[in-house]
Amino acid sequence: MPGMLNMPQDIASVIFENSIVEFVYNIYLMVRERHTKHWAPAFKKLRRLKVQKVKLPNFREEDTMSELTPDQIRSRMKEQGILPPRSWMERPITISATGAVFEPYIPPEGDGKLSSLTLGGAKQSMEFLSKKSKSMLAVRKIRSFEDNFSPSTFAEEAQDIYIKAHKALVEKDYDTLHQCVTELCFPLMTEDLKMCTTRWQFLKSLEPPRVVHARCTDIINKENIFSQVTVRFHTQQTLAVYDRFGRLIYGSEVVAKDVVEYVVFEKHLANSYGLWRIHEKIIPDWMPAREPGRKTYIQQKPVVESEPVADTAVPATPTEQSAAVA
Amino acid sequence: MEILLRQFQTKSFLSICKCLEPAYSHATSWTSGNAMLGKTLFHTSNTVAMPYNPPKGPRKWPIYNKKIFAPQLPGEERRPAYVCHMRTNIKYSPFKMWYVASMIRGMSVDEAIKQLSFVNKQGAVHVKEVLLEAQKLAVEKHNVEFKSNLWVAESFATKGLVMKGIRRHAKGRVGLVHYFHCHYFVRLEEGSPPAHFFFETAPKTTKTLLSEWVDEMRQRRIPGSL
Repeated sequence: MPGMLNMPQDIASVIFENSIVEFVYNIYLMVRERHTKHWAPAFKKLRRLKVQKVKLPNFREEDTMSELTPDQIRSRMKEQGILPPRSWMERPITISATGAVFEPYIPPEGDGKLSSLTLGGAKQSMEFLSKKSKSMLAVRKIRSFEDNFSPSTFAEEAQDIYIKAHKALVEKDYDTLHQCVTELCFPLMTEDLKMCTTRWQFLKSLEPPRVVHARCTDIINKENIFSQVTVRFHTQQTLAVYDRFGRLIYGSEVVAKDVVEYVVFEKHLANSYGLWRIHEKIIPDWMPAREPGRKTYIQQKPVVESEPVADTAVPATPTEQSAAVA
Repeated sequence: MEILLRQFQTKSFLSICKCLEPAYSHATSWTSGNAMLGKTLFHTSNTVAMPYNPPKGPRKWPIYNKKIFAPQLPGEERRPAYVCHMRTNIKYSPFKMWYVASMIRGMSVDEAIKQLSFVNKQGAVHVKEVLLEAQKLAVEKHNVEFKSNLWVAESFATKGLVMKGIRRHAKGRVGLVHYFHCHYFVRLEEGSPPAHFFFETAPKTTKTLLSEWVDEMRQRRIPGSL
């Protein structure tokens, strides 16, 4: 009954006066009519052609890009008229720093805990570089490129580079920081502090810096030599890190901390413009953990793979009893 | 030291397309005779193979996420964190999206997500997705401790791309068909939502009511008087 009057139920009862028509009308109200079907189906095609279809750009394409097969990507590129890329890629590359510390220095356990005035502490500081043959060979190799290199003078230079690098990091002066720090170290230093404000102070050096280790290697060619020198620092510093909104998340501006560090400096000797730059830091296992940052994390529960539980109450295969019931 | 690196693509076509993304200096493994090398870092120069598609649509809203505030003094009240998020060119009319956007203003994030799950509008699906994304960003990147401790500070939709098509009417008459897109923007702020987000609907205190009544009384004038 299309096009039935939309009258409310109480009026209908008055008009029809409890008749069969009223009963039928009440039943009709419980039925839903379909309003999307035209009464003249013969002209469907013409009606569809009334509106010209427009191809809309798909802005949500990137969400599904990763799930496409190579054939799908090929067809999409053909649609857009993009030529496929070359089957090889030739690029000039420059290796300016190594990717790791080779033959890292193993610091003696408990270093820095005893005061140098005690017997044990004095013994610790008597660790001479000249007694390490491999390091001395490396030092001689460095001297062949850099005439006036000596471990004692280099230690002071290294401390200056260390302070310069940290000051550049705090001020976010990345041009200077690249001069003081290698490509391996740069993202490790800057990535987490990009959205943060840092306040760092170098108060004093508790012990004079000391070269403890030196090594040289060659990359690809025998002549392309990189040298890595490990320097031990025992200094007093303050560090405070504030997040994006100026809230303190690590350290303190007033509390000074004694720091024992083993910093690896690297130089590309074969490069005439090579510089001594901070490469890595050696953190031994016995070193006490740092003060935790003021950030909480939700501990992830270990995912336990549950075995498929066999439901003994309901039999998987029909038995005589269940078949009888059915 | 400069050498020419030639990588022959024996991998699938898909990975070729992925390699076309701009190459920044990244560590790659180099299998040569030298075992010490392991992961070497080298700078690579960009080779542009894909045509350049300039960024379209609004770009200023996410810039608010990059603002760094000065460190707070010890006695100062803790500044609430915020995160700005958006979704551009949603296939939905901005006039219809207004209803969804204005509904969740001033609600806490959990309440907003709950309500949007049961709103009978296509736009609500998009808004809910954007809210969940923003919540995740806030926790991961903007140092928000609890993901429920957020409320909707700003929520609005603007006009996006409008494509026009035509349709015919009776007697040779032509009609325009508009295919609307909208951009949806939201800003979540840390903390509990304010008691009264809309000033107009907030109940007036007795003090304000009294002062308003007194002002009205004082504004009365006798017409025609000296």
